[in-house]
Amino acid sequence: MSVAPVPSALPESSSDGFARLSRTRFLLSNEFGLILLIAAFALLFAVYTSGFLSVFNLFSLGRNAAVNIMIGLAMMTVIVTGGLNLAVGAIGVCAAMGCGWLLQILGLPWPVAILGGLALGAGLGAVNGWMVVRTGLHSFIITLATMSIFFGVMIFLTRAEAFRDFPEAMTAFGKMRLLTYLSPLLLLTFAVALALAWLYRFTVTGREMLAAGANPAAAELSGIRVGRAIILCHMLSGLLAGIAAMMLVTRNGAAIPSMAGQLGQDWLLPAFLGPVLGGTLLQGGKVSVLGTVLGAFLVTMLSSGLLMLQVGAFWVQTFLGLMLLVAVLLDKARRSWLARRNLA
Amino acid sequence: MTNLARLSRTDWFGPLLATILAVLLIQSLSANFLSAYNIQILLLAIAVNALVAYSQMIIIAIGQMNLSVGAIGGLAAISFAGAMEVWGLPAPLALTFALLIGLGCGALNGVLIRITGISAFVITLATLSIFKGINLGITEAQPFYGIPEGVKRFGGAVLVGPVPWLLVPTLLVTAILWFTLRRLPVGRFILAVGSNDHAAGLSGISVGRTVIIAHAISGLLAAIAGVLVVARLQIGQPSIGDDWLILSFAAPVIGGAILAGGHVSTTATFLGVVIVAIITQALVLFSIDPFLVQVVLGVLILAAVGLNKLRAGAATGGR
Amino acid sequence: MTTIFRTMGLAALMGGAAATAALAADDSKLALVPGGPHPYFAAWEPAGADAAQEFGLAGSDYKVPQRWELAQQNQLLESLLSQGYNGFMIFPGDPVGAVATAEELAEFGAPVIAGGGCYKDPSPAAFCLGTDTGNSAYLGTKELLAAMGDGEKRIAHFTGFLVDPNTQLRIDAVNRAAEEAGATVVQVIADIDAPEPAEEKINAYLAAHAGDVDGIVTTAWVPAVVAANALRRMGDTGIHMVGIDHDEVVLAAIKEGIIDGTMIQNPYGQGYIGSFALARMRSGCTVKEDAPFGSNALTDKFIDSGTAYVDASNVDGYLDTMREETARILADFEATYLSCP
Repeated sequence: MSVAPVPSALPESSSDGFARLSRTRFLLSNEFGLILLIAAFALLFAVYTSGFLSVFNLFSLGRNAAVNIMIGLAMMTVIVTGGLNLAVGAIGVCAAMGCGWLLQILGLPWPVAILGGLALGAGLGAVNGWMVVRTGLHSFIITLATMSIFFGVMIFLTRAEAFRDFPEAMTAFGKMRLLTYLSPLLLLTFAVALALAWLYRFTVTGREMLAAGANPAAAELSGIRVGRAIILCHMLSGLLAGIAAMMLVTRNGAAIPSMAGQLGQDWLLPAFLGPVLGGTLLQGGKVSVLGTVLGAFLVTMLSSGLLMLQVGAFWVQTFLGLMLLVAVLLDKARRSWLARRNLA
Repeated sequence: MTNLARLSRTDWFGPLLATILAVLLIQSLSANFLSAYNIQILLLAIAVNALVAYSQMIIIAIGQMNLSVGAIGGLAAISFAGAMEVWGLPAPLALTFALLIGLGCGALNGVLIRITGISAFVITLATLSIFKGINLGITEAQPFYGIPEGVKRFGGAVLVGPVPWLLVPTLLVTAILWFTLRRLPVGRFILAVGSNDHAAGLSGISVGRTVIIAHAISGLLAAIAGVLVVARLQIGQPSIGDDWLILSFAAPVIGGAILAGGHVSTTATFLGVVIVAIITQALVLFSIDPFLVQVVLGVLILAAVGLNKLRAGAATGGR
Repeated sequence: MTTIFRTMGLAALMGGAAATAALAADDSKLALVPGGPHPYFAAWEPAGADAAQEFGLAGSDYKVPQRWELAQQNQLLESLLSQGYNGFMIFPGDPVGAVATAEELAEFGAPVIAGGGCYKDPSPAAFCLGTDTGNSAYLGTKELLAAMGDGEKRIAHFTGFLVDPNTQLRIDAVNRAAEEAGATVVQVIADIDAPEPAEEKINAYLAAHAGDVDGIVTTAWVPAVVAANALRRMGDTGIHMVGIDHDEVVLAAIKEGIIDGTMIQNPYGQGYIGSFALARMRSGCTVKEDAPFGSNALTDKFIDSGTAYVDASNVDGYLDTMREETARILADFEATYLSCP
């Protein structure tokens, strides 16, 4: 893998706490590594497969990426606090089914039903946050339990019956193609990502979330209400999971209990891959919205490209795992190489 | 040291009390519960699930997570069945082969984590995909049927009364694991690395080797669990291991393991498995709405950790 | 397994020879896509290959989603379309949720049919070619009731994923058959079409209630295997059982007299006839509006791919039964269901 020319002069103090974005900094960053990887794999798929660059594939790639990025962002907002949210999938399905119930059983207009579903998602997220704060237990355990509870109650109430009477307006949105290859879902995702970036960079609430994640004790001492910040993070996570679920509802034209698998487990892989590849630290306190977006996009592109390469239906998963490993290793190698060249 | 002993004593006390209470309560409501056949079914479930839980527990002990437990178990299971059907290997050789595969997969996890310095979460997420993919690639989702009669008999045989033979390997593993973690240097190294790997490194423990050993043990345990499932199901199903993940965390956590590492209890984890098995069976026994099973399991996990938390006071904090 | 299905296919070809004569070699590149990895669909692969060879297609490939999950299936279908596949037989991951993707495929001019399970009307699928699952479950229960003879008739029903469009049809059909014979369905255990939960739940149920059950009917692949094994392990319980599909464990249990019989389905026929129909539709045929379609809870354009009861007396020749069925359907398929230019 070729690497861009290394700048000669490097300030000694480039690792201090200020956001001084030198060129080297950017070259060392995760985001740049991901861009390189995305470009390299896109080239590979474009050359070796027929149809990767076809209009429909670009459209469906964008649409799938939109959902996966949103799921990744939902996890990211909790990882920021140093926690995990295993219940993203369960919350998402609950939000979708809640929306379907409001629409089909109560007969509410669809914008109200969507808002209701999103509110349910945010509410369930807040429940998670509240329990994490009140019990002082790690969010891994709390959300492990609540993913069972949320999903179980949803299945019990709905009897695993899907809601299927969605208005044309909603289903058309999922199939809409702007400029023949752009899904409006992707634009929605970008808008949400921008809003999140703004939240973490420019608002007091966002900074408090990061501070609470980096060092809760210190944050508490400096007057931040850590408990409130953590509950907000979980609420945000629930809301974003709800949005991802709504996107799937418009795409499928139905709210299906199985849309995220048993207990919503099928969302966990995309949920973690995006933030982790994107360089959001699992320990919390650091966030990269752009990295999460790029990471989730890379994963979606890899799985799409592998289907294109026709590696044999049953081997796709192996290659996806290998490529992930290679991607992570390459990025690691690139950074340590750059660091050696510059800091030796 | 006395502090540790006290803690581990209280660790298994809570789950044991819960187990006894649950047995008494369920038995008083349904006379069938302690019937010989029902106990046998209960023990069969425990035999496999305990190994799955240990496989995760040993990784929790070093303060990491192994998401690929189920994938390794599944791969070992189909290797075991496939070696007997396709290559016609006798069962002991196939068993060795499968266990080596499990050991190798686990060691691979450990080596990758150690060499790259990337978090175990990410590495095992990737290897989960790889191992499961190899499994599907080999089997094309078709089960292996050619399980020799001897293995099938082992899967169905009872040792004495309602105690199935399948429980024997599990009990052996439980004893060895308990002894290893309590008495052997390698067990102490694992716990030391889990509580503070930096300090462990300074005090002369090879952190890298310990991490690799822990992952190799985890892989081996998952492989044993996979082989036992094959003996029990009497077919080599590719989907073996698919739903192990939640259980693998639930049992150690109910048993008081601390996810940050350095503190696990073999006996308490075993009791955690027993509790989950009893509850699962009670739900079927009382013909409780299958849709509610998940809710009950979730509440159970919360109750268990909540109780543990109360007992331990506000000593350890999470987020 | 594969060779068995090949011989079966060749025999079917003889029956269908008349229908194939009109076919010219074409650029049809067909995809046969199940809902996820499952042994039931394995016969689609040789069926597609045989059909591609016989009818001169560019391909009729068996493409399996990685997991039993609608999102995976959608992604695979999108990818296949981009790769140039131009005809699809699909087992819908969800009878309604999968329609959106089928519509997109249809918008690109690719004919779509449902195989093994149906889309819910309205959908772009030309028709649904599958086992009449309700009927199969109904007949299976009837056979079970007959085998149980006189006396009390309490039935336990073990079936598959609740998200499978067929599961509810099966539950209803078993209940109907039981009701007609004055029997009772004492328990339905669903969502156990995976070996571990099936093993756990079926055994736990039998452990507690073996004395309260006189017969077992299973209407999904894995529960049939697990229940047959459980009965073998329990020895002489007096419990009768009728299974489903042609898993080797189930067939062996029939031969040994552990269970009474099984309801065979015809996945090979689905793959073979489906490929034929897709190719014909690509060469300009349309589905007749007034064709004698069957109907079920999901669709009014249903074609039965055949089902049959197999017991100890004909278990060795069960392939012949399905071979005849495939040949019979294919022989007048074009005349009955299609109008060609």
